[in-house]
This record gives sequence, C-alpha cells and structure tokens, in this order.
Amino acid sequence: MRLFDWRWFVVSSMLVAALAASAETRPQYGGVLHVAMRAAPASLDPMDSTQPDSFARRSLAMLMFDTLVTTDENGRVQPSLATSWQALAGSQRWQFRVRREVKFNDGTPLTAEIAAASLRAANPSWNVIADADSVVIDNSDSNLLAELALPRNAIVERTSVGKPSGTGPFHVVDWQPGKKLALAAEENCWRGRPFLDAIEIEMGKSFRDQMTALELGKADLVEVAPEQTHRISQEGRRLASSTPVELLALLFTRDVASPDEKLLREALALSVERRSIRNVLLQGAGQATASILPNWMSGYGFVFPTGADLPRARQERDRVRSKPIWTLGYDGTDPLARLLAERIALNAKDAGLSLQPTSATAADLRLVRIPLASADPWVALADVASFAGLRIGKDQGGVEDLYASELALLAAQRVIPLFHLPVSYASASTLKNWTLRPDGSWTLADAWLGNARQ
Amino acid sequence: MGGAVYNSGIPNVSANFVCRALPLAPRLRVVVRLSFILLGLALAARAADWNEPEQQLARKVVAVTGPGAIAFTVENRSSLGKRDHEVIQNGLRSALEGLGIRFVNAEQAAATVAISLSENSASYVWVAEIRQGLGEAVVVMVSAPGPQSSTAAHESVPLSLRKIPLWTQDDPILDVAVLEENATPTHIAVLDAEKVAFYRWQAGKWQQEQALGIVHARPWPRDLRGRLLPARDHLLDVYLPGVICRSATAAPLTLNCRETDDPWPLVPAAFSGGTITIFPGAGSTSSAIAPMGAFYAPTRNFFTGALTPSVGKFTTVSKFYSAAFLPRDKYLLWLFASTDGHVHMVDGVSDQAARFAWDSDLTTVKTSCGAGWQVLAASAEATSEEGTGDSVRAYEFPDRDPVAVSAAIDFSGAVTALWTEAKGDTAITVVKNRETGNYEAFRLAVVCSQ
Repeated sequence: MRLFDWRWFVVSSMLVAALAASAETRPQYGGVLHVAMRAAPASLDPMDSTQPDSFARRSLAMLMFDTLVTTDENGRVQPSLATSWQALAGSQRWQFRVRREVKFNDGTPLTAEIAAASLRAANPSWNVIADADSVVIDNSDSNLLAELALPRNAIVERTSVGKPSGTGPFHVVDWQPGKKLALAAEENCWRGRPFLDAIEIEMGKSFRDQMTALELGKADLVEVAPEQTHRISQEGRRLASSTPVELLALLFTRDVASPDEKLLREALALSVERRSIRNVLLQGAGQATASILPNWMSGYGFVFPTGADLPRARQERDRVRSKPIWTLGYDGTDPLARLLAERIALNAKDAGLSLQPTSATAADLRLVRIPLASADPWVALADVASFAGLRIGKDQGGVEDLYASELALLAAQRVIPLFHLPVSYASASTLKNWTLRPDGSWTLADAWLGNARQ
Repeated sequence: MGGAVYNSGIPNVSANFVCRALPLAPRLRVVVRLSFILLGLALAARAADWNEPEQQLARKVVAVTGPGAIAFTVENRSSLGKRDHEVIQNGLRSALEGLGIRFVNAEQAAATVAISLSENSASYVWVAEIRQGLGEAVVVMVSAPGPQSSTAAHESVPLSLRKIPLWTQDDPILDVAVLEENATPTHIAVLDAEKVAFYRWQAGKWQQEQALGIVHARPWPRDLRGRLLPARDHLLDVYLPGVICRSATAAPLTLNCRETDDPWPLVPAAFSGGTITIFPGAGSTSSAIAPMGAFYAPTRNFFTGALTPSVGKFTTVSKFYSAAFLPRDKYLLWLFASTDGHVHMVDGVSDQAARFAWDSDLTTVKTSCGAGWQVLAASAEATSEEGTGDSVRAYEFPDRDPVAVSAAIDFSGAVTALWTEAKGDTAITVVKNRETGNYEAFRLAVVCSQ
C-alpha cells in the first residue's frame, strides 16, 4: 500500500540527471547564477497587491524574504522565522514565537513588533499584535499556517525610505524594475550563507529568448512554455516540471445577469474540446480539467467531466432567444494564449455562440492563467475565488466540504476551468541542487554551480 | 466488517491444506496452526484499516439510494495495489449489504453506484457517483488516512562491505560515535546541528539518555559538517565549523563549546596514539601514524587546505572536502578529495592530481583484509528502477591508481558524511534517504572474503 508520491512527480523529468549529478561532489561555494524569466515585475515587495501573482514573483520573494512558517516538499508546515507556534483559546488565536538573533539584510534585528507590523500590512483584516517575543494572530481559519507560508505573507521590514528589506539568503544589489535584478549572497543569513555568490536575473524575456540564452550559455535557469516541454525533453535537456499547479481558465468579468446568460455560459463550458486542444496546441502538456483544483490536490477532480458535449451545448444555446457577441480577452504577449482563444472561439461557434478574441484589456470574459497559491486545497480554492471576485465559505472541513465549496464556486459560473498546467524550467548542467517547490516556484538558496571558482 | 470477513477464511483454508498435505508431527502441527492464526490476525488487522472509511462511505451511499437493488462498480484511480483494491471492494460490498443493499445488473438496478478509489497529496479519497434515473449524479465521498511513512528496511548485501544501521532521524546527522559495544553497539552519541544526543540500547530499543546542546554564536554554514571523536581522558570532542566542544571530564556530563579555528584531526586516535602493525600479511613493521590536523573553513563546507604538521614539504594543499591516507614503507600517501573535483595524492614530495569517479567523501580504514588498509570512497551510482543513490566501495592503491577491492554497497540516497571511526577499522556513513527524507547513519565494516 503506497500513496501516490507527488513529490517525485514534481521533479519527474529531472530525476535521472539531477540526482546523479547532485551526488557528484559536495556543494561548492561561489559563482554567479544567471536566470531569465518572462515576468517583468515592477516591484519586489511581496505584499504589493497591485502586482499579479506569478511563479516568478514567488520565486523572487523567497530569495530575499522569509515567512514565519514554510512548507516542505511534502506540504508539511515547518518552522522558519517562527521557531514554534501554538493555538490558543480554542484555535481562535495563534501564538508564534519569533526566532532570535535573526537580522534583516540592512542589519536591523528581527523583532516580534516588526513581524506583526508586516503581517498587518499584508492582511489589513487580521488582528495581529506583538507580545514580547511572539506574534499573536486572532484568526480561526484552519488553514492559517498554510496561508502564512505564502510568499505574500513574507516578513518585510520597511526602511526609512520605504524600501523593503528581508531576512532571506540574498540581498538586492541592483534593481531595474521589470528589467534586471542583481542579488548578492547574504553572508550572515540565519540559515547560513548561500553557496552562490550572486544571482543575476533578466526579466521580460520571451520563452524563445530564454531558451536561446540557455543554449548560448548566457543563462543557467530558464522557463519553458508548456507546449515546448515535450520537445525540450526529447532534445535531452535538463528539464524540471512541477505537478499541474496553474489553472488555465475562462473567467467572466461579471456575474451571471439573467437565466438566459446562465444557459449561454453553460453552453460555452460544454463546447470546449479540451482534449484535442491539449493534444494539438499544448502538445500533450498539462491535464484537461473541468474542476478548479487539480485531482492531485483534491482527489475528486475526475468527477467533473472534461469532454465536449456539443449536442447538449446547442440544446442549451437554443433555449435562449438572444444571440450576444462576447469578447474573449487574452494576453497579447503570449502566443499560445492567442491560439487557444481562437480555438475556443471556433468551438463556441460550433455550439452557436459568438466569441470574438481580442488582446484588448476590456472583454466580457478572459482567458487567464491562475497560479494556484498553495498545495493546500483550501488556500488554493480561496485564492481562485478571490481572483474571480468571489468568496468561499469559512466552514472549511473535510474533503466533502471542499467539494461542496468548489461546486458552489463553479455554480456561480464566473470560472470555466480548462486545463491544469505544470510549470517547467530548463537548466544548465552546471547548476546543481536547485529545487522546485510544490507551488511551482524555484528555490535557489541551496543551489550551487559545479564549475564555480572558490 | 467486510474486510475482516473476507480475510478470515484464507488462513484456515491454507492451514487445512498444509495439514492434510504434510504428515506433520502433532507439535509441529500446532506451531503451523498458530503461525497461520497469527498470520490471519495480522491480515485481519490490516484489512480493518479500511473498515471505518468503508462504513462511512456505505452509509453515505445508502443515505442517497435507500435500501434496495443497485449496480455497483469500484475503480481504482489511486496508488493502491490490486490486493488492497480487492479488499476494499469486498469491504464496501459487505458494508452496503449490511445496510440493506442488494447487488444486481444495471438493467435491474434502481441506482448505479460507481465508486472511485482516488487520492490527493494528503490522503486517499473515495468517491461515489450515484445515478438514479436520468437525473444528475449525486456525489458523496470520504477520505481515508494515507499510509504511515514506511521506514524501508535495508538488507545487508553479503559482500565485502557490510552496513550496520545505527540511527535514523529527521534532522541531518553529522556524525555518530559508538561509545560502547557488546557484539553490537549498545551506547552511541549522535551529532546534529544543535546537540549531541546519547542513546543506550535497552530492552530491545534505543533509549535517549541525555542530549547536550551545542552553543554557537554564528549561523552554521549550509551543508553543515561535523565530527564526533571519543577522547582518552574525557568522553568526546565535537568538531564543527568554527566551534569545538569538549565534554566534561567528570560527572555530570556537560559540553563546553568555544569559538575557534583549531584544526580538526585527520588521523583517528587509534592510529596516532599507539603502536599498530602495518601490512599484517607482509612481515611486521610496527609504527604509529603521526597525528595530522587540517583547518576547516568556519563558514564553508570544506577544509582550507592548511595542514598541521605539514606533509613533507607541503604545509598547504588544495581546499578539500575529505582526506584519507595509506601507509607506505617510508611515508604516508595522503589522498585529498579537493573542491576542484580532483583527488590530490600527496606523498610529501609531490602532489599528483587525478580524477576518479568518486564523490567528495573518502576515508581510510585499517582491516585484516587484503593489504590491510583500504580507502572507502563514495560515488554516485546511476540507476536502478527505484532511482539513484550513492554507493561506497573499498579501494586499495598498489601504486597511484585505485583498485576496487569490494563490490559497491548501495544506499537509498546521497551520502552526506563518511568518517573513520575512532578505532580505525570501521567507518560511519550518513545517508539522506531519498524516499523518506530521513538521515540514516550506518557503520561500514569491511568483511574479508574467504
């Protein structure tokens, strides 16, 4: 009897090459790691809610900042800046003991006051106070620990000029928003100095440019588009893919306004030929889905049928007299998004619906990629709900409650799930011991370069 | 409880078969019967693991269908094996029957119940999709706890190297010292980042006696390494990057740590403190190995290369992760696993670099086998169906090229430490188990071939 071990699925593509390589020698200190990414964040502040969540932002945040608790590769909560915690007063209040002798990158000692202020700033609705060497949070949410492990809840100290400072393994040397970030190893990091001397990150690079940089030896770690993973792995490159942690979905920008619109949205959901889109446009990557949470997270995802049902779609469509024309927005900088939008519009047409793909920002519905916030299903579901402008119930119990919440979210018809996609990265053979976290972000704190000088 | 019913019949049938087939003596027959009874109890206990979720799901299904005739399927979408699938299927059937359900063909059924045995990252999830007439399916589900993380048993392979499990824990083990033994170790000390813990083998298990905290002001470097060395006039010394701790000479046992960059000993006390015989099979030359120390970088994971005393004309060598030595007629040949990936062979006059298919951990043992001295070296072994793990192999050096003198002994993960034990004839190796994530310490012994 053995539970499916998704930890190993996380790095399935990387196992043979990476593990063999990791045993080659002990970790070596030194060297500059070059990373390329598609995202172009304008801010490094993990709690800047004006910036969209992305795997890149999560990865960057955890280079410079730490959270009170963290999750390991099994999804279990582990101490980080908090050394211990306990629930008080019937789990309505939580007390976190703050680690001593930790300093921010600017030399300021970590205190419970700073940690509490940071959490208050990130979560204005929380009641967070400092009590001696502890942070106390009034919160009955059963998933508080998973929530605290999210990068957006990193502990940030504001310098006098408002710059965020963290306790992470690297500090900022040069920051050109949206373009380039240079980081240097934090010699006195409380977890120990990282092996790498520095990291240089180029932002706003297309997948193609990233792969070229890797091939030319100008980058050591790059992102790989889902539809390219099959080809890249066949070329024998070092490829690491996560479990499916990104939801590709259609998101309506407003609530259902009438019974007719409800039928039309139902018809659209039934018209999408997910399987053929996956085979052709996604080159077999990811999983077709009609559920918000992937099956590995919920265990019941297969209950939602993913097959297109055109007769039923037409039937639903024919029950409505009006024939609205919906605009379908997509990210104009993402070539795959355009192809997907066009294909979905064709499917809709077969069902008698009119969809007009557009790269304009204003649209009736949008093709969106939603990075699932956490391996914790409740946190992930709540985050998707929030993304869609909805909320899920506070009563978060067992798997049947989770199913009921997801069902309710889908019944609102704001979200039509299409695919769950993995996140994939290709790396140079010299890069060792970097890891993919369950949330799709990478960790470089323990990474090292095999040919680094010391 | 369906599962138990299903299983209880098997042992008795088997036992009867055995008793009929073999002319067993009455006492032996009793033993066989008892064995099968115990086996039956064990199987029944295992099956009972599923009883609660089986009952829960059955109740939820019947709450929708009511008692009556249903068509029933069970599909396994999880990592459960065929055996468990069958056990659960039968358990569910029994549970449903107990609640008034009869099983019929789909054509005769008032409802169809399709059960899927699924799972998520935390638990098994059993989902029942219930269809009655043309309406939408009603979905009910339960979760069942995932399996306990299994601690894989590692069989020793009867080769030239033997591994004896000593200790396993979640936190990284830096070193283990065997303080007392009586055929097998009975008293050990385990070093990790924060403490030295003492365990004694009592009543068939290790019991912690005491744990002494390690005081250090600076953060430890990543890839922390450390040594635990029994001492002559006190219990032990602890070597960590930038910190050396010494146990008190008198009771109560305490640990006094100080910040220092004093060198770490590279030669076990057994070799440097008394007379030993070199080359037992080739005449007897008695000689003690001179003590040798090396300075460890306090914020890194390697030795700086500075040696004390020098090796011949070499006061420093390349930065290295580990060292081994082999006594020669008139000198010691030192092997340094350098940070540049080479093994540097230093004899006091020359420094010869070579690249072997070794990891960065190597050490020396003195045995009564072969040439009497072997180098144990870890290396990455690609591949088995289960993945990749490191291995350790014994080598001798007739000249400057290693000759493997044992088969590789495989581990289920990366070797994170390999140190010679104080008495010099065995080594401690620590492995991070790839499956469990635990750190496992083994004693490695060289067994002479017959």
